[in-house]
Amino acid sequence: MTISTIDDLHKIKERENAKLNDKKIMLCGGTGCLAGGSLKIKAELEKGLEQNNLKDDVKVVMTGCNGFCAHGPLMVTHPDGVFYEQLNPEAAPKIIEDHYVKGQPIERYMYRDTVTRKPVSILNDIPFFNNQILVALKNRGVIDPENIDEYIAKDGYVAAAKALTSMTPKEIIKEIKDSGLRGRGGAGFLTGLKWELCSVVAGPEKYILCNGDEGDPGAFMDRSIMEADPHVVLEGMIIAAKAIGANYGYIYVRAEYPLAVKRLRIAVQQAKEYGLLGQNILGTGFDLDIEIYLGAGAYVCGEETALMRSIEGKRGSPIPRPPFPVEKGVWDKPSVLNNVETFANVPQIIIHGAEWFRSMGTEKSAGTKVFALTGAALNTGLIEVPFGISLRRIVDDIGGGLKKGRYFKALQLGGPSGGCIPEQLLDLPVTYEDIVKTGAIVGSGGMVVMDDTNCMVNLARFFLEFTAHESCGKCTPCRVGTRVMLNMLTEITLGNGREGDIELLEDLAADIRAASLCGLGQTAPNPVLTTIKYFRNEYEAHIRDRWCYAGVCKNLCTFYIDESLCTGCTACARACSTSCIAGEKKKPHTINQSACVQCRSCFTACKFGAVKIGSADKFKQQEVSI
Amino acid sequence: MGRNILVVDDDDIIVKSCMAVLGSDGHQVSGVTSAKEAMELIKKNTYDLIITDIIMPTIDGLELIKWLNDNYPYLRIIVITGFSSKAVLRDAIALDINDFLPKPFFPQTLIDTVNRTLSTPPKVPVPQKTVELFDTERLLAITQQYRKKRGALITVLQEAQELIGYLPASAQKIIAKGMKIPVSEVYAVVSFYSFFSMKPMGKYNVRVCQGTACYVKRANEILNNLQKDLGINEGEITQDNLFSLETVRCIGACGLAPVVVIDSDTFGKVDPAKTNEILKNYR
Ligand SMILES: Cc1cc2nc3c(=O)[nH]c(=O)nc-3n(C[C@H](O)[C@H](O)[C@H](O)COP(=O)(O)O)c2cc1C
Ligand code: SF4
Ligand code: SF4
Ligand code: FES
Ligand code: FES
Repeated sequence: MTISTIDDLHKIKERENAKLNDKKIMLCGGTGCLAGGSLKIKAELEKGLEQNNLKDDVKVVMTGCNGFCAHGPLMVTHPDGVFYEQLNPEAAPKIIEDHYVKGQPIERYMYRDTVTRKPVSILNDIPFFNNQILVALKNRGVIDPENIDEYIAKDGYVAAAKALTSMTPKEIIKEIKDSGLRGRGGAGFLTGLKWELCSVVAGPEKYILCNGDEGDPGAFMDRSIMEADPHVVLEGMIIAAKAIGANYGYIYVRAEYPLAVKRLRIAVQQAKEYGLLGQNILGTGFDLDIEIYLGAGAYVCGEETALMRSIEGKRGSPIPRPPFPVEKGVWDKPSVLNNVETFANVPQIIIHGAEWFRSMGTEKSAGTKVFALTGAALNTGLIEVPFGISLRRIVDDIGGGLKKGRYFKALQLGGPSGGCIPEQLLDLPVTYEDIVKTGAIVGSGGMVVMDDTNCMVNLARFFLEFTAHESCGKCTPCRVGTRVMLNMLTEITLGNGREGDIELLEDLAADIRAASLCGLGQTAPNPVLTTIKYFRNEYEAHIRDRWCYAGVCKNLCTFYIDESLCTGCTACARACSTSCIAGEKKKPHTINQSACVQCRSCFTACKFGAVKIGSADKFKQQEVSI
Repeated sequence: MGRNILVVDDDDIIVKSCMAVLGSDGHQVSGVTSAKEAMELIKKNTYDLIITDIIMPTIDGLELIKWLNDNYPYLRIIVITGFSSKAVLRDAIALDINDFLPKPFFPQTLIDTVNRTLSTPPKVPVPQKTVELFDTERLLAITQQYRKKRGALITVLQEAQELIGYLPASAQKIIAKGMKIPVSEVYAVVSFYSFFSMKPMGKYNVRVCQGTACYVKRANEILNNLQKDLGINEGEITQDNLFSLETVRCIGACGLAPVVVIDSDTFGKVDPAKTNEILKNYR
């Protein structure tokens, strides 16, 4: 079948909407839940339905990621909207029996409020979800990503049809410019402006590119969009292609995302069959072909000029700009590269208008942003929030705060190019302008909550190790400078830090920043600089006192038991793998320092906070002073 | 943990019943009815054991065994045959097979023989796969398919790696020739991208995520423990070629951090102290 008018789209939508009240089990089939066994659960659910003769009444649909992966595998019943989490194959028959046969929702698999422990049955009553506003993620969990009709039922391709049939490139660009949409891939460049710069370059051959490389290690916003709603990416690209006059497109996806690749391929195939890609789309005479291109695992290939070299089949090394890709991009032809999430915002701006988009967010940072909230927060996962929300609300309301007994230390934003934001700055609103003042960046959306068990020096070392490894080697300051900084940080974490190291790190950082060609080198020092800025005392403790408070740097800590707090409950002794904790029941315990391997099991096991982390020299010093 | 077994017999019923019997014992069993098909499969997949008939049309079992001994000397072989003349038997034994089972046999006898054979070490050490056994024709076909397409080198390399498991120097040469570009250019690309490996992988490739979300949940301790459990370092392969160990930077399942991936199985929320339990399933 070919779709040639907007009416055809409406017909599909009506056909799908007639099925709106059909009972469905929306089972999550995202990477996280699949890893948790959602395919087996699907089989069991279907078996249960069959046994109860419900096979024709209730359908099981595999959706993309719902964002709440830490609670997966999970499902939502449709249309009643009951949310079940942490499922396993044994849960399936019980859910069919209670929910569908007896008509009683089953509490055992419901989310429980973190404070009251009461079950919450409806998805949108869960704080993790109800504090979010979904734009780029609007179809997550509610459609089958491998079925184009379900996308169309949610007004899919209406924006593309509008752009192709009734808007000029200038009008499209104006709408996107007015909306204030900024690139979601990291730099936050104005999307409409980028399109305009390319549209005015003459040339019959132009390219529209989508960046699905998602290099930030610890973020999965783009993966989730490509898996849960692949058509929205295609639709955004069609609109952009029309705006700049491109007839060919590439989606560059990491090879580590096989499910995203599969779903995108299916989506391209289906769109072609419907005539929404290919020649003469919607009878408008506009042609667009899109090819999926697999990246081969180099972080620097997320950078635009490197990505284009990679598509050309070469080593992905950045090249100097200008000329900018909008003039000379892939195959030396004018090209526009946007991030997956950027494209996912475009169709709705075209449908609802720039004003609507601006009603969310702030003056300079319009709309919403997707973040991958991970680390020590109680509720981790993928969230979408309007710009301007405070960091504290994200951590406390959506993330549900931290586990009891743990203390918030920092929020890492922007991955290896970003920085750490301390507690005292948590009331800052999330906007490009405010975050950059802290030394961090909004970045592509990685957001890691750090608690008292994370060592900031070691974290800086971790990111430097990453950038040093990923440097393409073209610029000496980036290649060698990051190595030198990494070695210094490693020495500090091993207990060989020297006075003056901190200042030297700061100097080196400035050099690398100034003399690197691409963003990788220019931003590589950020994690070090922000941790020095806000956690200088931790660096000093490592260097001067040989003390890693977090107990992460093994040469720099001593685990000991505070006798005044120890109740003699024996929990630590039982947890210790080397049996080096001695003590009678109900009497204070002690750790045999010479046998301790610093595995921190006792620290985690003690409910009374009696296990403490002291400096490496804690006991040595005492001996001297006696 | 089941092992990979291939059954070759021109009698479809024998193949099916062997598959059913061994499958119920937890093995992954494939079956074919000619030596030719068997050779195709063996080139593509890794097996622990081949069970073959002797008398078969076109290529017979003895020829198959000869071919196996020449190309895959480490593969264990069990011969099943209804035609147990001394001469055939002697020929087969001379060809260094592991065991022999006259037809008809009881299911339990088959299971016992198979498991006994599998518990013996392979006849010769499984090579570091450096005996570069790959289908040069398929590789050439891949290069032909993409030769006219610009910028296809990375795609060709990805497909080649899928075919062979890694990219040995010999394969890079063939690709260079097929694509009509210098070997140095191929090598420059292979060495740039971490996805490409010039070393063979173990039967099971263990990947430990070292992305930020996993790292802050002590993924480095998981890596250390796995190195201890396996007795190898990151980037190496165990002596028995069963496991190779790699690190990755985020597989996008951060909600389950810390994460370990073995082939296509993902393990989430891994307890650093319990890495050995994960490996157990594959030993
Ligand atoms: C080292 C480096 C890595 C990058 N990685 C990514 C990435 O993984 N995904 C992405 O969308 N943008 C990445 N970028 C940003 C891109 O260069 C580019 O700005 C972006 O894709 C443009 O799209 P946008 O304007 O829609 O954000 C990276 C930049 C640098 C310097
Ligand atoms: S800054 Fe680093 S990664 Fe970027 S081009 Fe230079 S050497 Fe390569
Ligand atoms: S840190 Fe580990 S080895 Fe040391 S005392 Fe505690 S439990 Fe025992
Ligand atoms: S994969 Fe299921 S919620 Fe993310
Ligand atoms: S950081 Fe390990 S899966 Fe993302």
